[in-house]
Parts: sequence; structure tokens; C-alpha cells
Amino acid sequence: MLEVRDLTIAYGRHVALEGVSLSVARGEMVAILGANGAGKSSLLSAIAGRVAPRTGAIGYDGQSLLGLPQHGLVDRGIALVPEGRGIFPGLTVAENLALGANPMRARAGAAATREEVLTLFPRLAERRRQIAGTMSGGEQQMVAIGRALMSKPDLLLLDEPSLGLAPIVVQEVFAALVRIRDTGLTIMIVEQNARATLALADRAYLLEAGRIIGTGRADALRNDPAVVRAFLGGLSGNAPAQA
Amino acid sequence: MFLTILILGLVLGGTYALLALGLTLQYGIARIMNLAYGEVTLAAAFVLVALFKAIGLPPLLGTLLIVPAGYGAGWLLYTVMMRPLVARSGASGRLEVDSILATFGLLFLIQGLLLVAFGANFTSISYLDRGVNILGVSVALNRLIAFGVCVVAGGALTLALARTRWGMVMRAVALSPGSAPLVGIDVMRVARQGFALGTALAACAGASIAMVQTFSATDGVVYTMKALIIVIMGGVGNVPGALIAGFALGLVETFVVTTIDPGLTLAATFAIFLCVLLWRPQGLFGRG
Repeated sequence: MLEVRDLTIAYGRHVALEGVSLSVARGEMVAILGANGAGKSSLLSAIAGRVAPRTGAIGYDGQSLLGLPQHGLVDRGIALVPEGRGIFPGLTVAENLALGANPMRARAGAAATREEVLTLFPRLAERRRQIAGTMSGGEQQMVAIGRALMSKPDLLLLDEPSLGLAPIVVQEVFAALVRIRDTGLTIMIVEQNARATLALADRAYLLEAGRIIGTGRADALRNDPAVVRAFLGGLSGNAPAQA
Repeated sequence: MFLTILILGLVLGGTYALLALGLTLQYGIARIMNLAYGEVTLAAAFVLVALFKAIGLPPLLGTLLIVPAGYGAGWLLYTVMMRPLVARSGASGRLEVDSILATFGLLFLIQGLLLVAFGANFTSISYLDRGVNILGVSVALNRLIAFGVCVVAGGALTLALARTRWGMVMRAVALSPGSAPLVGIDVMRVARQGFALGTALAACAGASIAMVQTFSATDGVVYTMKALIIVIMGGVGNVPGALIAGFALGLVETFVVTTIDPGLTLAATFAIFLCVLLWRPQGLFGRG
């Protein structure tokens, strides 16, 4: 479904990603693991059309995505939940979700999609009229994921959904991701919280200093001593403790 | 006396509110601070007068033609002049400074064209200049019509912004342009719409000014200043704030004209502006 080949991204002289190739099949959940600054977000940004790569190719359903504007990719079925969430903090939860269904592909079934999203995140149903920016970090993350789902994506890109959330909230977000995965949606997730993500994903790529240093099935990686040492060293991944 | 000030002030304020609404849309949605805004307003006023004098086109009908023409002119202006600036600035804050410099130049270009086309003399038309009794206050019919035009145009736009999908997209771009592409919004396209719409409102305000006031080709800066003052008073990008501040300015000016001295209107305007800048620089109602 998604084919990334020899992708190199550079900001000025700083090379964020070098010769990265990977693929995601339909219905799969693929994780990209790596430390801060390994190039995870750059990779997602390039797939979502936010950053133009220096070299390489990105294919989606057999067609190249390079050169397409970011807003155009949403209508092709690629929804991004960026780092920092990117919600509309000045608008209500209901408006955020309604805007999620703004792409043409999502308009017809918007009411039904909203019901699905509100079933997935009952908290959002209670808080419909609240201004999104006044909600807690975890709730804002639910708004961001819910809004992405409103566009009826074929491929959901998640950039560090657990970043900056309290551990108990992280659990809640990951529980929601399990339910989303079980609907059969193709998901690509970038995370620092390696342990929780490997429990969720089908496959993973390990990223270090802009290069892929390993890949495999998630259950195999969880038991690989080298991976455990490098990525699962902490007690429960390295989710920051603050809310 | 009080009632006179109230009614005449609200009637004047309607034009100001509409004038400010266009400027705040251009700045809020397209991020362009348009210093040539008053010249665009004047251009519309001159066109209305010219059509009236040349072929006897009724001003109300003229307004119906001028507003869409204003939209088209704004669309063209954005595409030809603003888009290169937007493309060049990217995500940085350069657009605001660049747009101020560019529209400052545009100001003199439009003013020069107006001077060549219509001369430097004061212009006015006499249109439905008879008094109508409202709650015991005599108001010129043309002022009431101009007020009606402003209320209908401003009200329709405010409702559309608050209630429709289109309005929600506009607000999303105004509030978080960086997030808008995530939901498939083409920010450049929306910005162009916002700029064109602001130009249409300037044209509408200009048409209603032409129905009631005397003006000359060099007056544009006064309208830009007044619109800017109202926008800052109401809170930049804040649509209801601009409407309320517009009416407030109309009331204050009318109060000064009737009770103190007509020559002091501009001074009063700037005195309020100064107070707002000193004590509430974010505007009376905060940023939208």
C-alpha cells in the first residue's frame, strides 16, 4: 500500500533521514521506533506531504505521492496526527470533528463516521461543546485522532501519540489504538514508547541517526536481546512522567 | 438630543463596522495587512458615482454590481500581487511586513489612478436626500439605505462565518493556518477567498459611503486609518469585536460632532485609539 524507497531528508546541511526504505501493507500496523532526533517525525512528515524529501520515492497504491500538496493527500486517504496534535484549539470539539470530515471523500458519510468516533471516544461525546484548547492533553489527543478518523482515511499516520501524556492517559490512548487497529485500518505509528508500541503493532522498523538499523515482526523484536538493550532498556519504555 | 446621537451614530457606525469587517477578514484569514484598503473603498465609491452620473444607474443597483466586481478585483489582486509574497514567506512571519510594504506602494498606485480618472475635487451625489422621521429624529433616507446595506452585508457574513461549513473552514484557517492542511484545507485558496471577500466588503462600504458622503481621491488613508483603529479596538481578527467597535466609533464621532465640534472627529478617533493602545493593546474584546 505504501512504499518508501531510498528516502533522504535534509534541513540545510543537517541530514535527518538517509536512504530509508520501508513498506506498509494494507491492514497492517507498522511502528517506527527510535530515540529523540532519530528522524521518525521527518519520515512521517515526508509521507504526509509536509516536508519535501531531497531524494527518494514515496509510492501509495502504485502512484507517487511526491510533489502533492499536504492538503491534497487527505483526500487521497492519508490522515496524519502530527506531533503536538495540530488540533484547532480555538474551536469546539464538535467543530474539530466536523472539520475532520471536510475532505470530499468524507462528507457523505460524516454523520455515521461521527457516531463511530464518539463510540470510540465517549469522552468526546460528553465534551462536544467544549473549546478543544481547554481540554487535558489526553483529551486533546483523542480530538486529534478522532478528527483524523473523521476523514475516512485508508492510512492513518500517528506521530508520538503518547508524547507528554501521563502514564495512565497513555494507557487510555493505546487502548483506543487497539480498537482502531481492530477495525482493519492501516496504521503507521512513530513512538518513543517502544514497549507499548511493540505490543500493539504487527511489524516495526528501528531507526537510529536517520537510518534503519533493523526490522522485523513486533513479537520477535520484543524478545530480541539487542533490541531490548537499545530500545526497551527502561522499565516501561520511556514515556515522560508529566501530564 | 441623546436619541439623535444614538440613531445618527448607529447609522454612521454601520458603515464603519462594514469597513472594518473587510480589513479584519483580510488580515485574519489572508494574513495581509492591507494599507491600500481605503483606496479600494474610494475606488468603489468613485465607480458608483460615475455610473450614477454617466448612465443614471441607481446607487442600490450599482452596489449590487460593485460588490461582486470588488470580489473579482480582490481575487485578481491576491493572485497577481500577494501570492508571490505568500509563496516567498513560507511559514515565517515575513508576510506581514512584506504585505505592509507592498500595499503601501499599492496605496499610491490606486490613488494616482483615481486622481487621473476622477480629478482631485470633492465628489458627491444627491440621492434620496430627504429626511425620514425615526422616533422623532430626522434621518436622511440615503443614510438609512446605506445603513441597511451595511447591516444586511455584515449580518449575512457574520452568520455565514458562525454557522456554515464554509465559515468554519474560514475560521479554522484564521485560527490555526498550520493545522488546516491536516483536514484537507488548501490554505492558499482560502486565503485568496478571504482577501477577495474583504475587498468586496471594502467595495460595499465604499458604495454606501458614496451614497451619503462627500469625498475626494486623496481621502483613502482616512478610511484605512478608521478601519484599522476599529479592527485594533475590536481585537485583531475578531469579527463580532470589529462590528461592535465600528458602531462604537460611529456613536463617539456623532457625539463629538453634535456636542463639541465637527473639526474634532478625527482627533476624538485617535484619542480613543491611543487609549486602547495604552491600556488594552489586545483590543477591547481580545484577539479572535
